[in-house]
Amino acid sequence: MASAASAIAAVLFVALLAAWAAGGGSVSLPWAPTLGIRLELSLDGFAILYALLATGIGFLVFVYGSGYLPAHLGHQRRPASDARRFWPWMVVFMAAMVGLAMALDLVLLFVLFDITAVASYFLIGFDRQRAEARGAAFMALLVTAGSAVAMLLGAVLLYSEYGTFSLPVLFERAHPTPVTTAAAALIAVAALAKSAQVPLHFWLPRAMEAPTPVSAYLHSAAMVAAGVLVLGRIHPLLALDPAVLDALLLIGFASIAVGGLIALAQDELKQVLAHSTISQYGYVVVLYGIGGAHGAVAAALYVVAHAIAKSALFMTAGAVTEATGESRLSRLGGLARELPVVAVASGIAAASLAALPLTLGFFKDELFFEAAAEESPLVGALAVVAAGLTFAYLGRFWLGAFMGRRRTPASRISPLLVAPIVVLAVVSIIGGLFVEPFARLAAGAGAVTVGAPVDASPGYHLDLGLANVMAAAAWTLGIVILLATSVREPVARAVAAAGDRLGPRRVYGLGLLAFERLSEAAHRAEVRDLRTSLAAVLVPGAVLAALGFFATPTEGAYAVGPISAADLPIVALLALGVVAAFTAARDRGRLRPVLALSVLGASLAGVYAVMGAPDVALVAVVIETVVTLVFVTVFSQLPATVMGRAGPAAPSPHRIRNVAAGIVAGVTAFGVIWTALSRPPLGSSDAAQDIQLTPLAHGADVVTVILADFRGLDTMVEITVLAVAVLGVASLLRREREP
Amino acid sequence: MNLVFALAAAILFGIGAYLVLQRDLVRLVLGVAVISQSAVLTLLAASLRLGAAPIYPLPEGTLSDPLSQAMALTAIVIGMAVTALLLVLVFRVAVAFRSDELEEVAGEEVSLDARLEETEGEAHEREEAAAR
Repeated sequence: MASAASAIAAVLFVALLAAWAAGGGSVSLPWAPTLGIRLELSLDGFAILYALLATGIGFLVFVYGSGYLPAHLGHQRRPASDARRFWPWMVVFMAAMVGLAMALDLVLLFVLFDITAVASYFLIGFDRQRAEARGAAFMALLVTAGSAVAMLLGAVLLYSEYGTFSLPVLFERAHPTPVTTAAAALIAVAALAKSAQVPLHFWLPRAMEAPTPVSAYLHSAAMVAAGVLVLGRIHPLLALDPAVLDALLLIGFASIAVGGLIALAQDELKQVLAHSTISQYGYVVVLYGIGGAHGAVAAALYVVAHAIAKSALFMTAGAVTEATGESRLSRLGGLARELPVVAVASGIAAASLAALPLTLGFFKDELFFEAAAEESPLVGALAVVAAGLTFAYLGRFWLGAFMGRRRTPASRISPLLVAPIVVLAVVSIIGGLFVEPFARLAAGAGAVTVGAPVDASPGYHLDLGLANVMAAAAWTLGIVILLATSVREPVARAVAAAGDRLGPRRVYGLGLLAFERLSEAAHRAEVRDLRTSLAAVLVPGAVLAALGFFATPTEGAYAVGPISAADLPIVALLALGVVAAFTAARDRGRLRPVLALSVLGASLAGVYAVMGAPDVALVAVVIETVVTLVFVTVFSQLPATVMGRAGPAAPSPHRIRNVAAGIVAGVTAFGVIWTALSRPPLGSSDAAQDIQLTPLAHGADVVTVILADFRGLDTMVEITVLAVAVLGVASLLRREREP
Repeated sequence: MNLVFALAAAILFGIGAYLVLQRDLVRLVLGVAVISQSAVLTLLAASLRLGAAPIYPLPEGTLSDPLSQAMALTAIVIGMAVTALLLVLVFRVAVAFRSDELEEVAGEEVSLDARLEETEGEAHEREEAAAR
């Protein structure tokens, strides 16, 4: 199955390349035309970048996974067949990302966005026997799919304003209004939560419970990338209001700082990388916040360089853990001698992320610095600090694992775990030497984002250009942070601890706890008392009915209706029935209320007879007799303790409350029934036709013919219901007296 | 006549609601039966026209609406099925718990629940802590 998944990824990758070389293409089919939703996909410059990442890195991750997963399952003593729960989701994940990259319809975008969330839920919770993994998967789903609702809200807002879900049309029609801004901001919220930006970043480190291939994919080309993908896709809407862009800048820098500082304090390899992802996507968000052609191209190149390097680093973490059985930096070190290939390859990946020359990453920072410095000196200065921080935690990661004293011995690992890392490192180096293809890809994506052709020409300039000075400053700063262990560690630990104690994750935990308590309380109340569970259904229903009342105009809604002398028997019989019902309600005995009930039934049967409904009257009499017999039968079988209580029992402590509830129910029903009966009769009905057709059905009684012929199917279903009820009654009675 | 029918049906409904709220489960069944009577009465009262029975040979003058009669018939029969089934359920409960008092039955249920929770509570707590 692993090879099939890898093959699918490879074929898709090649097919995408071929399609792109052939000039791209687009599809636009009606999906739900009445709702204005179209299946609108386009392989444009922006789509090809993310789609190539999803399939290319997907392929390498799948290859890595085919080596990793059997060992992973082996460690946990799980059957190899559990892989069946893994690969299909990985392929769905990849397919959803490719679709997301090409989607141009907001609803389609939302659906695919949520599919990635669902796939990630099953992948993060793949080790389902561990409660931590289940909790992490749940958290990821709640945070990302929950905030994705904001995206749907934004889409609906835009639709109500401009009458379309199609992004290209929206870009043409949209103009800065408060509604547009709100909609853009809502979509951005969903995107930022997906990209694990502050303050909704906390799910990402928890998601490290996933098997390493999932982490590698999730952090580089799928899931987290989906967030910035959406930002880049809808950027023209975001750019309508500078306040939204400023908010993006703020959130991006906050994420860089929070992710970077906490990454410095982490001991677990994958935790360092997870916090680094928060920080790295912070860069991309900053770039989209800066906006403009430079920002858009820089963001696109950043995503590519980051995805390549970060997936390599994750696979390195997995390979190191597989070789040594250790996952903590404090227990690792000096692995360069035992895993030289991994050390070099991951060193290149780390260098690329830290933007050292001769790697693809250098150019991402070059563009980043240029865009930041262009925005304002303050943003430029912050950019340098951010890059310094990145340099420091990546240095700590790589030096900690591969340099220094050897702490844990390493065993040999499968070449399948090493080869993908090497390939990614080679790609990083190629990008560092010949940046042209990558720059073209990024320029194509940037052109879609800003909606105009852009040119990007990153390259090595051996001069004292601003970007070079800033890069040099960042490296210096990074080295200083790396060397200043005594200052760095307490500060980083303090930030991490403060985040744990005061951060949004705690809010999430408390919120979840509150919901649990609420649901438990509601559950308890319902279990304890039938009345409360009835009230839970009836009270909202009654409130709705009452609202309907008050919303209805009263004029002509209530008519007394004529009463003739011929109606007097009806009135008298109804009065008798009501009195019988009162008796049934008041009497505390066993048999007397039942008899009163049958008096009620008989008097109503009389009413029906007078109303010209002999069929109903006859059936009512029969039914009343049967019901009375059933009651008597059951009473004869009841245990003596239950029957013996007959007589003047203690009145219920809730008597007054019950009477009041009965009165309220009666008054409401009165209002509803009266207004319903007061509606003037319609001019014609099916009845005339039914009456006319009855002789053709060889019947004389119209009601009988309706039941047996015109609506025979209804009657058949009814008989079935009756048969089921009879079966239930019989089987319950037959079980004798055993509990 | 509208008013009279509405009044009668509403009073029956109110009495039914009162009975449904009782502690005594048998009276609860009575309440459901009374409410279904109220519904049938409303259905028939909602006939488009009242008159002679719609049976061939058709008499002179207005005929009663056969459609609402057919529906009322269905309602009566289903109502009976529901009443009988409910009553037998109450019977089983009374046999099992030796009581037909809602509070006593519910009390037993709750204590059963508490016992269950004691055994499963710990695992449950751990699960929830992990989710946070």
